[in-house]
Amino acid sequence: MNVAFTALTLVSLVLMTVTAPADALPAMIRGVSDAVLLLLKLTAIYAVWIAVLKMAERSGMSRALSRALRPVTRRLFKGESEKSYDLISVNLASNMLGMGGAGTPAAIDAMASMMREEGKATDNMLMLLIVNATSIQIIPATVISLRAAAGSANAASIFLPTLISTACATGIGMILARLCASAGKVVRKKKRESK
Amino acid sequence: MTLYLLPVILLGTMVCALIKRVNVYDCFLDGARDSLSLAKSIFPYLAVIFVCIELFRASGLSALATEWLSRPLGYLGIPSEITELVILVPLSGNGAIAALEDIISTYGADSYVARCAATVAGASETVFYVSAVYFSKCKVKRLRYAIPVSLFASFCGMVIACALCRVM
Repeated sequence: MNVAFTALTLVSLVLMTVTAPADALPAMIRGVSDAVLLLLKLTAIYAVWIAVLKMAERSGMSRALSRALRPVTRRLFKGESEKSYDLISVNLASNMLGMGGAGTPAAIDAMASMMREEGKATDNMLMLLIVNATSIQIIPATVISLRAAAGSANAASIFLPTLISTACATGIGMILARLCASAGKVVRKKKRESK
Repeated sequence: MTLYLLPVILLGTMVCALIKRVNVYDCFLDGARDSLSLAKSIFPYLAVIFVCIELFRASGLSALATEWLSRPLGYLGIPSEITELVILVPLSGNGAIAALEDIISTYGADSYVARCAATVAGASETVFYVSAVYFSKCKVKRLRYAIPVSLFASFCGMVIACALCRVM
């Protein structure tokens, strides 16, 4: 994250100093104002969704969902606590249904509950991130409504190709994550042995 | 169909909570309270990523990158008209939607290019945004292999998406 941010900002700033020096500072401030606006919108969305998540949690719905998804979650995320499995299940289910507003708070809590050491990401945490970043979504609602608004003959026709390609992306992501995780373990073991 | 999905889920959750005698009023109070503290913890990450996106666009770097990448992407079957969208997708959800709208209005909703664009946009997630926000509570800075793996996997998804649009 650090490297990506620094490199991108540096190159952009160098380019701006040459091409549009007057716009550099306004552009940065514009960026933060966009962030503030989005944050306000997100606070409202999360207020509603966290309330719904609390209801689901206290009524035992999350637990039931978690049980139903247990075969999948246990295989993907080995050795986590009951609470983490519940949060992960809520996150996966809401993202599949296209309810990002519910998925994100659940994922943030799941990450916090899976943490073993302050400031360090475990392989399971990275797996959850990768599964989310490659986005399993069954109904791409925004895109379909955009197409319908533009007068498409069959707005939902992209449904199947979208589903197949996200499934492939998520699959590739999972396999690579596993490979990287086991490669990392081998490297660390070798380091320990050489000491 | 999808129109009824959300209200039904909301109603179902509430009915279930009432049956189990959960205090719904308290749930809403807690939700609103927690959303403020959540907003507070994700704000720094949002601010950083938005500064980065704005600079990337305003400096003309995104236009340059589009120019450089459209040829190599073309070899992989991604039409050059959607290169900008491919670059924007991991960075910014709003940016990607705006680019998609642009493509749809230029080429028509049912053209091959617009269908590719819609599939790419529907099948992907803002990788950098997700990476920053998800770890906001546990303050993890080093994500090791997570970003390269996510970017590569979603890129494979995009190539597959464009190939599928040709036949489906």
